[in-house]
Amino acid sequence: MTETVSENSEVTVLLVDDNPQNLKVLYETLKDKGYRLLIANEGEKALDLAHRHHPEVILLDIMMPEMDGYEVCERLKADPQTADCAVVFLSALDDLQAKVKGFSLGGADYISKPFQSQEVIVRVKTHAQVIRLERELQARNRELQSDQTRILNSISEGIYGLDEHGVIEFANPAAAMIMGCPVEDLIGQNFFERHFSTAAESEDNLPVMATCRQGVAENQRNIRMLRSDGSGFPGEYRSTPKLDNEELHGAVVVFRDITTELENEQALEDARTMVQEQRDQLAHTSRLSTMGEMAAGFAHEVNQPLTAITNYARVAKRMMGKEQPDLVLLQETLDKIEAQSHRASEIIRRIRRFMKKPATGKEVLAVPGLLDDTRQFAEVDMRNNEGGIEVQVEEALPEVLADPIQVQQVALNLIRNALEATRSAGVSASVEVSARQCGDKCVRIQVRDHGVGVSEEDEEKLFHPFHTTKDDGMGIGLATCRSLIQAQGGEIGYERPEGEGACFWFTLPIAGAQGPSCAPEC
Amino acid sequence: MTDIQQTVYVVEDDEAVRDSLELLLKSDGKPVKPYESANAFLKDYSDKMAGCIVLDIRMPGMDGMELQKKLNDKHSILPIIFVTGHGDVPMAVDAMKEGAVDFIQKPYREEALLEKIEAALEQDLEQRKSLDEKQEIIRRVKSLTPREREIMDRMIAGQANKVIAIELEISQRTVEIHRSRVMHKMGTHSLAHLVRMVLSVKDLID
Repeated sequence: MTETVSENSEVTVLLVDDNPQNLKVLYETLKDKGYRLLIANEGEKALDLAHRHHPEVILLDIMMPEMDGYEVCERLKADPQTADCAVVFLSALDDLQAKVKGFSLGGADYISKPFQSQEVIVRVKTHAQVIRLERELQARNRELQSDQTRILNSISEGIYGLDEHGVIEFANPAAAMIMGCPVEDLIGQNFFERHFSTAAESEDNLPVMATCRQGVAENQRNIRMLRSDGSGFPGEYRSTPKLDNEELHGAVVVFRDITTELENEQALEDARTMVQEQRDQLAHTSRLSTMGEMAAGFAHEVNQPLTAITNYARVAKRMMGKEQPDLVLLQETLDKIEAQSHRASEIIRRIRRFMKKPATGKEVLAVPGLLDDTRQFAEVDMRNNEGGIEVQVEEALPEVLADPIQVQQVALNLIRNALEATRSAGVSASVEVSARQCGDKCVRIQVRDHGVGVSEEDEEKLFHPFHTTKDDGMGIGLATCRSLIQAQGGEIGYERPEGEGACFWFTLPIAGAQGPSCAPEC
Repeated sequence: MTDIQQTVYVVEDDEAVRDSLELLLKSDGKPVKPYESANAFLKDYSDKMAGCIVLDIRMPGMDGMELQKKLNDKHSILPIIFVTGHGDVPMAVDAMKEGAVDFIQKPYREEALLEKIEAALEQDLEQRKSLDEKQEIIRRVKSLTPREREIMDRMIAGQANKVIAIELEISQRTVEIHRSRVMHKMGTHSLAHLVRMVLSVKDLID
């Protein structure tokens, strides 16, 4: 019994007996066991000590003058400060009646006189431990409760506990702050009537109703809720059913005011729209600048049919001037005029489409047609590239989802760069344009030339804005290409080809394909 | 001098332009030969060709300027009318420096084109005529004996018969006989004409 002195040292034992001899024996028995011992020889004194020192165990004599043990016990139990201590009665009265009365008054145990010291020691130890454990448990409980309260209080989202009718049983401070009234004003109110203007008209389809009634969890955003003063705010909430053994007891609602959030989202959306508009604007400007560079080529392209038309018209006039005009020949010549005017208008149509502003938006596109159109376009200002442009498209290539004009702009840009590099190198190899499927989500289009190529130093900065290797370049071509392709959900890049020249590629998402478009290694 | 058939050679890659131009020139009564590329024309070229070339300056493959250079290398005298587009004036200027007779901008008026073609054909004719004349002079000069040639050179240099006789240590009479043979072979009676004729081919006979 020498162990746990330090443990016992926190334990206080109050000895109460009117007989000094008995007190002495008890004291002798329990001293050196590590307890703090207090002594009282009458009831009043015992109550006073118990009140001040909160003993764990009280050994209490029943038969005392003035105030007997029963009354002391009763008063101890009545005082919340002392109610939890273990009262062990000491009495020579070894009858059942006395024991029952002791227990009924809240006594914890009973030791008969004359007592055995071993028994006293064991019982005190047992009760001391029980009380200590109980007190620890209570302390832990209090701690837990305050933790929970602290958590509930510090959460910035409002929390409501509702019963199955929607009556607010619990509200945290954040809920009160959002609603603009004290917590007390919320408790007992009906959640639906209080926070939804349409509650009076129909209870169906109200937020949280299904959780309260059917136990279905809900999560909704941008729901209009009312504050105490009747003003509204956009809110987001999650409601989960309160279940106890599968039985529905209402709902827990976690909610917050998303006014600022929506404003931020709107601001972000506005910024995004602005970026998009500026990108379109830049793309358009870049298309106009491309057209400007190609103006001479287009003038030539349009002049060809116009020249032919003028010539044919003269020929026709001359035929009609004859005495017997050859009508068959005349018809043929007029047909030729018609064909040439179609040709001219087709060229103009193509130019106008390309210059359109802004771009038309995404469509399901067939790549071969688009590339062929672009090739014809690029050939307009081709001069001495004897090899020209070769387009090779894999068979059964799936259609892509993209903006036709922007894709054409990118393809045209890459092809024109390739033609220029070929011209600068003074070679006659053709520019190879190819398209193939890559993975199951994208189509890869590649423009390969055998021209002057790209130096390792320039390779890294190819797509940087304002980086250029051309004397009269602005360095926005490839940067614009990249932003255009990214807007389609594709990627653009450069790879060093085997042999001379350069190889640029870009990918476009296949129409109907889901998820992120393309792996870069494609 | 033989009468050579003058032809308008149209070198133009655009089928419609080529076809319409061919029809137009034919309807004006001119012999026309169309070519779809500079290469095709170059393959067909011979110095027997007479007339003029209507040449598109802008063509895929070999362009008009290149063809002009290649023809210059071959000492072609065929006049070239360049057909240019809107932005090609600087090119046309270069072409003129290289000896093109003219250029015309697309789309052109028929009258303007026909006028230029007429002028080119005229120039071709004259060039050809003067070329023929020169060749005749050269033929005559070559028919002279070395002694006659020597005497002619001294005549052109303005030496009197007496001076020639002393310097060549021959009699004045012999000089006179050579002199009359030179005049006869060169087909003229006037010393001034002889001087003009010989000077016109001076570069070619030295």
